[in-house]
Amino acid sequence: MSFTEFFQQLLNGLSIGSVYAIFALGYTLVFSILGIINFSHAAVFTLGAYFTYALMGGVVGFNGLLANKSLPIHLSFVAALLLGSVLAGVVAVVIERLAFRPLRARGADPLLTLVSSLGVAILITNLIQYMVGAEPYSFPANAYGTLPPAINFGTPDNPIPVRSVQVVIFAVSVVILAALTFAINYTRFGKALRAVAEDAVTASLLGINTDFYILLTFFLSGFLGGLAGTLVGSSVTIAGPYFGISFGLKGLAVIVLGGLGDIPGAVVGGLVIGLAEAFVPAEYSGYKDAAAFALLFIILLIRPRGLLGRTVIQKV
Amino acid sequence: MEAFFSTYGFLLVSMVFAALLGLSLYLPLMSGQLSLASPGFYALGGYIAAGLSTKVFTNAGPLFPVPLVLLEMLVAGLVSAVVAVVVGVPALRLRGIYLALATIAFIEIIRVLALNLEITGGAVGIFGVPQPFKTQIEYMWIAAPLLVLTMLFLYRLERIRVGRAFIAIREDELASGAMGIDPTYNKVLSFTMGAVLAGVVGAVSAHFLNTWNARQGTFDASIVYLAFVLIGGSRTFLGPVVGGMALTALPELLRAASGNGSLPDWVAQFMKDGRLIIFGFLIVVGTVFLPQGVVTPRMFRRRKASPPAARTEPAETVETVEAAQKENPA
Amino acid sequence: MSVQPGAALADGSAYLVCVLEVRDVTRRFGGLVAVNQVSFSVQPGEIFGLIGPNGAGKTTLFNVITGLIPASSGHLLYRGEDIIHMRPHRIAALGIARTFQNIRLFSNLTALENVMIAQHVHTHSGIIAGVFGLPPSPQEERATRRKAHDLLHMVGLTNRADEIARNFAYGDQRRLEIARALALEPQLLLLDEPAAGMNHNEKLELSDFIREIRLSLNLTVLLIEHHVPLVMGLCDRIAVLNFGELIALGDPAKVQNDPAVIEAYLGSE
Repeated sequence: MSFTEFFQQLLNGLSIGSVYAIFALGYTLVFSILGIINFSHAAVFTLGAYFTYALMGGVVGFNGLLANKSLPIHLSFVAALLLGSVLAGVVAVVIERLAFRPLRARGADPLLTLVSSLGVAILITNLIQYMVGAEPYSFPANAYGTLPPAINFGTPDNPIPVRSVQVVIFAVSVVILAALTFAINYTRFGKALRAVAEDAVTASLLGINTDFYILLTFFLSGFLGGLAGTLVGSSVTIAGPYFGISFGLKGLAVIVLGGLGDIPGAVVGGLVIGLAEAFVPAEYSGYKDAAAFALLFIILLIRPRGLLGRTVIQKV
Repeated sequence: MEAFFSTYGFLLVSMVFAALLGLSLYLPLMSGQLSLASPGFYALGGYIAAGLSTKVFTNAGPLFPVPLVLLEMLVAGLVSAVVAVVVGVPALRLRGIYLALATIAFIEIIRVLALNLEITGGAVGIFGVPQPFKTQIEYMWIAAPLLVLTMLFLYRLERIRVGRAFIAIREDELASGAMGIDPTYNKVLSFTMGAVLAGVVGAVSAHFLNTWNARQGTFDASIVYLAFVLIGGSRTFLGPVVGGMALTALPELLRAASGNGSLPDWVAQFMKDGRLIIFGFLIVVGTVFLPQGVVTPRMFRRRKASPPAARTEPAETVETVEAAQKENPA
Repeated sequence: MSVQPGAALADGSAYLVCVLEVRDVTRRFGGLVAVNQVSFSVQPGEIFGLIGPNGAGKTTLFNVITGLIPASSGHLLYRGEDIIHMRPHRIAALGIARTFQNIRLFSNLTALENVMIAQHVHTHSGIIAGVFGLPPSPQEERATRRKAHDLLHMVGLTNRADEIARNFAYGDQRRLEIARALALEPQLLLLDEPAAGMNHNEKLELSDFIREIRLSLNLTVLLIEHHVPLVMGLCDRIAVLNFGELIALGDPAKVQNDPAVIEAYLGSE
């Protein structure tokens, strides 16, 4: 493989890996606060992409209940992205209230909550399909404004072109991750969040409104999911409502690889899987998807706590 | 009568297969394992039958001989058993969420393999799978005995030593180990039995459905089978049977009812296209209101039992001890 | 008759004498040393008490002995065989049974089923024999059921065989747990706070019961208990743990007057 190809694949890997990381953070935030895996995150991811598309005035295709309709507004990409992600966050909060809170109230096993979240994911995904059909949707070509289609990282003699979208996505992801890390580690909100994640009962005794922080966490996770969904959707296409499910499944691989509940772990896991996929040789490109799951299976067998996770010690 | 069977033959046989697939999930669940792997074995079994009947047993007559179908089922069962042991022995040392995730990884890997390998026909799959019967209802000759035998098997299993070991592990894996039950051996055993059942059903389904492709082994299917067990009843073998049959029949019945004009059109259409919406909804509602499903053992026991208290399953401590064991492989 | 901890057991025959030898067993959890170089041995037929303030490492030691938690170092010789790396079900099969501090019955099953399940190691019918009703399954099923009834009778729960375990009162649940442990036909019975939650009369009954099964079932008993009078009245010898270390070992009178023990209990409050 030439250096050009290597660099391109590296950047591809980092780019998609950083989106995996953002998406996985949604899982991680919820897991660290409530100890549950919320698979409906995959559906929220999908919703984010569709919301943004709709907010840009996109037209619904021929199938589905809302065929040929569109919203009477045409926001710019950035505005639609933000609003769409906010809406996704709201949906996540609604899901928490309706589906997870009753289970929490009766001390249900986390496995039961996982099952419930599977149900939510299937429900929402198929609701989307029912409304707008299963065909792919593309964002308008000028979504990213006046950027050239590719940015050259090399010299004029040895050009290394990389799709601008990839670069933008990577940059946005880095900014988001940095902002999140800062917020969690250096702000009062972040400290309270970590306290609730560590020990909700004690946190509430210390006057922290745990319920509020749970809602905040879900909102944040939904926002990140919707954001990631839009980024992915804009980079290729929205391949149909199920594109979130397959992302969601890979997201599980990311968080297990990095360590359940571990925030830097989600980033590491995302990048590892993104790079692993990017470097799958071209002859085997059909097997790209399996890379994440093979890694998931292997890590579950040899080190279930993940690369960065710690074992939690409790009494028998 | 014949008209009934020709209209509803497909549905009736599908109901029986659905019951069996629900039971294939029930078996690992008997020993507390939430395994989403059944669709993987179902797909595997189907590919074996489809492959064998289209490429190996090709000089059969106008109707594919039933004994060959049974042979394919046997082969599918054996292969599923081997794969289940190979996958299960390492994976079933995991518990709870980790195991569910490992089974999800497994079916996704199978799906990608199925989409890419030549032998499985790639994305298109295998089509033109020969038929052993002239009509769909005749598949009952295979489906019904299979279901009856499986149900009898499970009825007996719950009453013997091995079955008790499964149930003990489900109740409290740690304590059952302390009482002399080997958790890994028994979990792999129940997992393998479920896999064999799914593989066998896959094999005959390949004929029943005439084509077979990677869509058979999807994550969706896991959710559907999960709904059968969750709604039908997770604590007795009758649960998945009832759940599988009812949840398969319901959309069809409602669609038929709408044909008479007794239901608004859009409801019937929704029942048909929105089948998965309904399943998802039922799962969410089921986990909250019916954690044991509709058919519960209490219906069959004539003994005192108070209403189910909140579950306080010590899942974390079990994981922790297991995690501690992983630090120091004993 | 007491064996000093760490004393050299010179000739091989010594190993055959004691039922359980705990030798320099240590268990670390990260930076915390929960059990620190603990050594003692338990003689056949003894009722051996393990006491100490909360958090002293007693239950952790039980968990190490029964294989639920691996030891960080040390040896455990059960009737001469080192079981330190064995998995719990193998240890149970060798004849070590236990009850749990936080009662771990199979709560949704009946009392009878709880006791029947524990006979798993002593029966052998596989699936095929079981499902098809072939020997030895029918005979074993009958024998298992009968034995379970006998054990329930022994602990005084005979009329409640078909009740769901979760519905039993706390004290009865403890009795059921003991019956279940006895179904393993153990030589060594580990009881983790069996008297917790019992009133005075029940405690006396329990002491009598333990003495009786020691004789009738040829058992050695290792018991963790907080209630000091019960321990002093029941046990032949007592080991005292504090912060994971063995601070005293001997007969009740000796241990009661040991200054280190007094300080551990009074000083820690």
